[in-house]
Amino acid sequence: MSKHLKILEFVLSSLLRRKIKNLGIVAVFSFVVFILASILFLTHAFKTESLAILEGAPELIVHKIAGGRHDLTALRYGDEIAKIPGVGRVLPRYWGYYYDASTGANYTVMGATEAPRSTLELVRGSFIEAGQRGVCVLGEGVAEVRLAGVNGTVPIMGADGELYRFKVVGVFRDLSALLTNDLILVAPEDIREIFDMPPDVATDIVVQVFNPSEVANVAKKIKYRFPELRPITRTEILRTYETLFSWRSGLVILMFLGALVAFGILAWDKATGLSGEEKKEIGILKAIGWETSDILALKFWEGAVLSLVSFLAGLIAAYAHVFFFGASVFAPALKGWSVIFPDFRLLPYIDPYQIFVLIFLTVVPYIAATIVPSWKTAITDPDVVMRG
Amino acid sequence: MIQLDQVTKIFNKGKPSEVVAVREVSLEIPQGSLSVLKGSSGSGKTSLLGLIGCMSRPTAGRIVIGDRDVAKLPERFLTEVRRETFGFIFQHFHLIAGISVLENVMLPLYPTGMGLGEIRRRAEAVVDGLGLSERKHFPVQGLSGGEQQRVAIGRALINDCQVVLADEPTAHLDTTLSEELIGILLRLHGEGKTVVIATHDPLVYDRAFVQQVVEMRDGRIVPS
Amino acid sequence: MTKYRLFLGLLAVEMATLLCLYGLGAVRLSRRAPDIVVLQEMAAGLMLTDLAIWSEATYARHPSQADLFSPFQEYPSAIEHFPSGSILAPPFGMRSGGHE
Repeated sequence: MSKHLKILEFVLSSLLRRKIKNLGIVAVFSFVVFILASILFLTHAFKTESLAILEGAPELIVHKIAGGRHDLTALRYGDEIAKIPGVGRVLPRYWGYYYDASTGANYTVMGATEAPRSTLELVRGSFIEAGQRGVCVLGEGVAEVRLAGVNGTVPIMGADGELYRFKVVGVFRDLSALLTNDLILVAPEDIREIFDMPPDVATDIVVQVFNPSEVANVAKKIKYRFPELRPITRTEILRTYETLFSWRSGLVILMFLGALVAFGILAWDKATGLSGEEKKEIGILKAIGWETSDILALKFWEGAVLSLVSFLAGLIAAYAHVFFFGASVFAPALKGWSVIFPDFRLLPYIDPYQIFVLIFLTVVPYIAATIVPSWKTAITDPDVVMRG
Repeated sequence: MIQLDQVTKIFNKGKPSEVVAVREVSLEIPQGSLSVLKGSSGSGKTSLLGLIGCMSRPTAGRIVIGDRDVAKLPERFLTEVRRETFGFIFQHFHLIAGISVLENVMLPLYPTGMGLGEIRRRAEAVVDGLGLSERKHFPVQGLSGGEQQRVAIGRALINDCQVVLADEPTAHLDTTLSEELIGILLRLHGEGKTVVIATHDPLVYDRAFVQQVVEMRDGRIVPS
Repeated sequence: MTKYRLFLGLLAVEMATLLCLYGLGAVRLSRRAPDIVVLQEMAAGLMLTDLAIWSEATYARHPSQADLFSPFQEYPSAIEHFPSGSILAPPFGMRSGGHE
């Protein structure tokens, strides 16, 4: 029978002596793990889902900068860019923001005439057909606050002060909320009319690049030939989103810094010294024939029992909290707010690496903090220990 | 046979708090004997007992147990010798508070290869032998002084030691309990174990069964 | 029943629970995978570069295209990702809409 099992048996008896204290440690420890794991799970779930969806975004978009600000982009740039080797289709994008005073929400109005078949299946009603004017497809967030369904109308105030009425032909389903929530899709001709855009410009230009590894090069070439243009690659977009969620999760962790510090103090308190009673016990065990290594094994198990039970409990609680209860504690902080807000689906994307990091941040230091201070006591002669 | 040769023990050597607890002590303890280290408190008898029991190493001199010089033995082997040869009965009992009588008695065998069930059987036998069967699942701190003493003896006996070392075993006991304890020690001696008792209680050292009395003063043996 | 058996049992139960949760998660994820593909196709087809999460400001709605000088951008030096912030509560009446 393994020596460690017997030492474990003694450790358990020993821990049960101070039930309240040790249950307190387990509670605090689990709570800390719960908070950290919740935030990590939540952030990772948001990130993974968002980044996976944005993998489909255009590889390269280009828009004009005038005086350091966005400007409408002349279509002739598109013709020039199309000549760069490696560049495929070059398409203008027409879009803009529309503030709807009656609901206090900002919508994104976008020109569109075609969509992939799979996208059409996400639309209740129909989609805008080529040449069709005066119709729109709404994101479900817009439809909800405007109380507009298929065959309803949405009025938009144009740049000329006129009210343009758009007939709703389709509404996006929930599933696509993360992408379409605040969208109002209209025909490109319509958007140019209401936003009063000259005929030779677009909002920006989407550039298709055949070889993904050439994207950065093409962007560089564009920037070199047209210093007034600003190329934005998908890699940059993904990085921005990654930063955004990391930044927000960092803020949330900051809010719980108090709890983390308290836990740190608890561990530090253990690390900086043994109580007289603990020292005496180590002395007794040595005197009755325990070796230094046995004492260290004892202390290891003492730390391991408390930290493992707490760690796993915290992890389970965090999983349930984030993926069954929608992270009700932290999600508001991580998601923020908006007048129209998409319905987030939290899916259990788990990164094993994060769990290992969590182990190294909690279990390992705790065990170390339990073993290290007993080391000095364990290597001295029991006789000295017993004299105090 | 335990032999001490010019053994000196200095605590906190080189510091202002330096104490010479044992000075150049030479002593022989024959196997199967019952010896008493006698002396007032501070005379060095507890330190000497600690040296004999491999609880600490001498600053100078040789300690031979059987045919091994333990003075220079590495910690690991010293622990092994301590575990296999000696059973300690401490003045303040030094039981682990909060755990049961049985578990206290079982403790010395935990680091050995013996199974938990076997250890428990042995401990139960020892505890029964000491008349503590009724109390074996009680936490030790609730026991009377005499009972605690017997638990301490049980713990000393569980590893079937050859040498029993007792430090002031009657210090916290009244006369009846002291006699009871002496009875237990005599029984162990009768079983062939070597018994060494450090005491300043005449009830122990002024007795016919004591085969060797070593008197100590200021860390030295007083010549008889 | 020895205490260490109870303890190891507890650990085993916790581990098993976690594994079950993980397995359950894997099932949910595999059901979600086709949706992700559809959404990727949508992002490509409609040429969408950003998520429609925060629509209150251009730099929040389209972080990818924010001006370099936009206030409170997504960087650690920013105090708060206003107005879609996590720390400061939204202005009164804002979330219910119709503040005018």
